[in-house]
Amino acid sequence: MNSPVKLVISGPVGAGKTTFIQTLSDSPVVSTDEEASEDIGKAMTTVALDFGTLNVEDYPIYLFGTPGQERFDFMWEVLCEGAYGLILLIAGDRPRDFPQARRILEFITTQTPIPFLIAVTRQDMEQVWTPEEVSEYFGVDPSLACGLDARDQQSAYETLFRMFELINASASEQVA
Amino acid sequence: MATNDQLQVIIENLRSAVPELRGVIVATTDGLAIAHSLSSGDANRIAAMVATALGLGKRICDTIGGGALSETSFSGATGQVYVYAGGAKGVLGVLAGPGSNVGLIHLEARDAAGKIQQILG
Ligand SMILES: Nc1nc2c(ncn2[C@@H]2O[C@H](COP(=O)(O)OP(=O)(O)OP(=O)(O)O)[C@@H](O)[C@H]2O)c(=O)[nH]1
Ligand SMILES: [Mg+2]
Repeated sequence: MNSPVKLVISGPVGAGKTTFIQTLSDSPVVSTDEEASEDIGKAMTTVALDFGTLNVEDYPIYLFGTPGQERFDFMWEVLCEGAYGLILLIAGDRPRDFPQARRILEFITTQTPIPFLIAVTRQDMEQVWTPEEVSEYFGVDPSLACGLDARDQQSAYETLFRMFELINASASEQVA
Repeated sequence: MATNDQLQVIIENLRSAVPELRGVIVATTDGLAIAHSLSSGDANRIAAMVATALGLGKRICDTIGGGALSETSFSGATGQVYVYAGGAKGVLGVLAGPGSNVGLIHLEARDAAGKIQQILG
């Protein structure tokens, strides 16, 4: 068995972080969702973390999800320690959350410079930004963005593998 | 009396029962400050942190078969914070300095947490 690969799943409220980890995890997910006391478009919100695990070939993967609400920003820092990569989830039909997503990305990558993937959920919605459009918004290469449905296992796996490719690419860059 | 005023009364009573406290805060379980009396520090940040502590503590309690969490605490060299569940919707955070009377804090704060539960439902 190899040593575990830790990934952080972050992004704004309702992007699908908790859902993504629940879709992928083989172990019962440690979730810390509490009743939302404001109208955030759903009943529950994460206050501490989500934690799930799975195995990919011989690698144990640890998934750490952050809360999305800005008041919990201290958890972003705590959870990113020792992470190999960041999957930044964004709901593609909620452009008003993009600035918040940008703040999270900047906050995390300046503290912990790790490879990241911008993963755009809710591609099944009618009015939605494509991953290409979102990458343009962030001013990053389109290869750093993908679309997914966080509820769908196949789609979540593809996102995970895309993240691994980026981690491997950045590792071999550092060697070269 | 409005909910906030009722909570403020509980907070003031707790502060006068244990004068050495550095602060008392009541927040929602999703980390929004509802009422507080703090000698220093940012209420919004402390509210979020006590909610995080309670939320994580609940899952730890679940995992070890400890049932419903009633309280948790953090002690540093120069300060402590005690975090109590105030029913399903509230969190009570109590900040104290070194050498405080922990027994008295628990006695008074558990009583306050019970009242908060009644108010917040
Ligand atoms: N239609 C659609 N719904 C999705 C998709 N991905 C996730 N969802 C739904 O969107 C909601 C996301 O909620 P959560 O997973 O709690 O979001 P979160 O990012 O953990 O939010 P916070 O913890 O509050 O920051 C859930 O109701 C999911 O079922 C998608 O691709 N399409
Ligand atoms: Mg969540």
